[in-house]
Amino acid sequence: MKGTTWHRLAVVGSLLTTVVFGLLLGDLVWQGLPQISLRFLWRTPSELSSLGGVGPELLNTLLMVGAASAITIPLGLAAAILRIEYGARPGFLLVFDRMRYTLLSLPTIVIGLMVFEWVIVGMRWPLSVGAGVIALAVVNWPFVVDVSVAALSGVPDSFREASLALGATKYLTLLRVVLPSALPALVSGLGMAIARLMGESAVLIFTAGINVSQHWGWSAPGETLAVHLWYLRTESVAPHADAQAAATGVVLLLLVGLVLYLTQKLAHWLKPMDALKKI
Amino acid sequence: MRNMTLGGYRVDNEAPHINVTQLSVAYRDQWVLKDVSMTVPGGRVLAVIGPSGCGKSTLLRVLNRLVDRASGVHIKGQVQVGNFEVIGDHVDLVELRQKVGMVFQHPNPFPFSVFDNVAYGLRLQGVKNSNRLRILVEESLKQASLWDEVRGKLRRPASSLSGGQQQRLCIARALAVSPQVLLMDEPTSALDPLSTAKIEELVLALKGQYTVILVTHNLQQAARVSDFTAFFREGRLVELGPTKEVFTTPRQSATEEFLTGRYE
Repeated sequence: MKGTTWHRLAVVGSLLTTVVFGLLLGDLVWQGLPQISLRFLWRTPSELSSLGGVGPELLNTLLMVGAASAITIPLGLAAAILRIEYGARPGFLLVFDRMRYTLLSLPTIVIGLMVFEWVIVGMRWPLSVGAGVIALAVVNWPFVVDVSVAALSGVPDSFREASLALGATKYLTLLRVVLPSALPALVSGLGMAIARLMGESAVLIFTAGINVSQHWGWSAPGETLAVHLWYLRTESVAPHADAQAAATGVVLLLLVGLVLYLTQKLAHWLKPMDALKKI
Repeated sequence: MRNMTLGGYRVDNEAPHINVTQLSVAYRDQWVLKDVSMTVPGGRVLAVIGPSGCGKSTLLRVLNRLVDRASGVHIKGQVQVGNFEVIGDHVDLVELRQKVGMVFQHPNPFPFSVFDNVAYGLRLQGVKNSNRLRILVEESLKQASLWDEVRGKLRRPASSLSGGQQQRLCIARALAVSPQVLLMDEPTSALDPLSTAKIEELVLALKGQYTVILVTHNLQQAARVSDFTAFFREGRLVELGPTKEVFTTPRQSATEEFLTGRYE
C-alpha cells in the first residue's frame, strides 16, 4: 500500500476513536451534569436521598493520593538515581530491574490483598485512610521508579561528561546538570502516575473501605472517588444512584484532567533552554 | 591560581609539560594502549593521529581520568602533568580536571544560556560575585573568539548557536576554569570547513599559554596547527617527533604508509 492509503487509514482510525470517546464522555456528562453542583462537591453521601454528595470522597482522594505520592516520589527517585547515576554492579541491576518489572505488572487487586494481609490482618489496623495510603504507595512505587529511570536515562551522557571534565563531582553533576535536565520529563511522568493513582480502586476496596466517617482521621475509613463510583454502581440503593455515579465520574475525570494539565504546564515551564525556546 | 594582569590578558599560565611513562590501559582484558612513553613540552600543541581504534581517545581520557567512567578499566604506568601525578587511587580528580580541560568531538553545551554555560565551572569553584562572573565569562568568550558573535545575546540558549559557535562555546567553558592543559578530541570532526578554520586559528592562538593535545583524523589539520605529531597504531606509539619531520621524513614505514593513505 502507498503512504497516502496508510495516512487515510490513520485519519479514519483517529476520527473513529475521537467519536467513540466523545459519545462515551457525552453520555457520562449528560447523565451526571444535573447532579453536579457546588453542594455535590461538599456534602456527605447519602443512601436515603438523592441529595448526597462526594465531599469526603474528594478530600480522601486528594489526601490519600497526596500522602502516597509524598512517600513514594522521594523513595522512587532515590532508587532511580542509584540505578542510573551510581550504576551499581551489573548483577544487582539485573535483580533490581526484574523486581521493578514484576511489581509494575502485578495486578493492583493482588497488591490490595497483600497489603490487607500485612496491615489489616497482621498489624491489626482498621480499614482506614492510613492502610489505603500504604496500599496506594505500594502501587505507585514501581511507577515512580520507572518514570524516574526513564527521565534520568533521557539526559544525554555528554552533559555528564562535560560537567565531570570541568571538575564537578558526581554529586554536583547530578544536582546542577542531570536533575535540571531531567525535571520536565520527571514532572510530566509523575503527573501521569498521580493521575493514574487517583483512579485506583481495586487496591483500596480491601484496605481503605467503602465508607466515610463523619470525622476525618488516619484510622477512619477512607473511601475515595473511584471506590465511591464503583460502590454506587454495584451496591447502592440510593435513588438516582446511576446519575450520582455519573456525576462522581465527571468529578474524577475533571480532577485527573486538572492534574495532567497542571503537570504538563509545569513541565513545559521547567524545561531547560533548548532550540525551540528562542528568546 | 589565576595569573592575569596586563590589560586583562592572561599571561604566564605556566603551561606544564606532560610526561607519560610506560602507560598501558585495558578495558576488561582488552589492552587498548600498550606501553606508551612520551613527553610533551609545556605550551606546545601535540597532534595525535592514527587509524580508528588505535587508542587516541583513550589516551586523552587517561589524562583527565574520564576513563574511570568505563567499567573494568586497568591502568598501568605513570602520567605526570607538570609535577601532578595523574595515575593512582588517591588522585584528587576535581583538582586534576580543573588543571586539564577537555573539548569533545561533538559540541555538548548544557541546555542553559550561553552565559550559564561558561559560568558553570566558575560557579563550581565558588565564584558567586556576579560582576566577577561577568568579567571572567567575557574574558573566556574573548579567548575562544566567540565574544563578538554573542555579546548582547548571553541570555540566549546555547543551543541557538550554530555548531561551530557551540564548539567554541565549549572551548570557552573549558578555558573559564583556567586549565593549564587542553585536551581536544577531534573537535572539528562535526563541523563545516569555515568553523573548522576558526577553531584551528584558535588553537594556534592558545599555543604557549596551554599545553594542547589534539586528537584528529584530519592530517592537514595536524600539519597546520601542531608542533609535534604522535602516530599511534593498535595501541602503540609508533612515532613521535616535530610535526614537520614526521610529515616530510617519517622514520617508521608504518607512519609513511598511514600518511600516504596506503594503510589498510
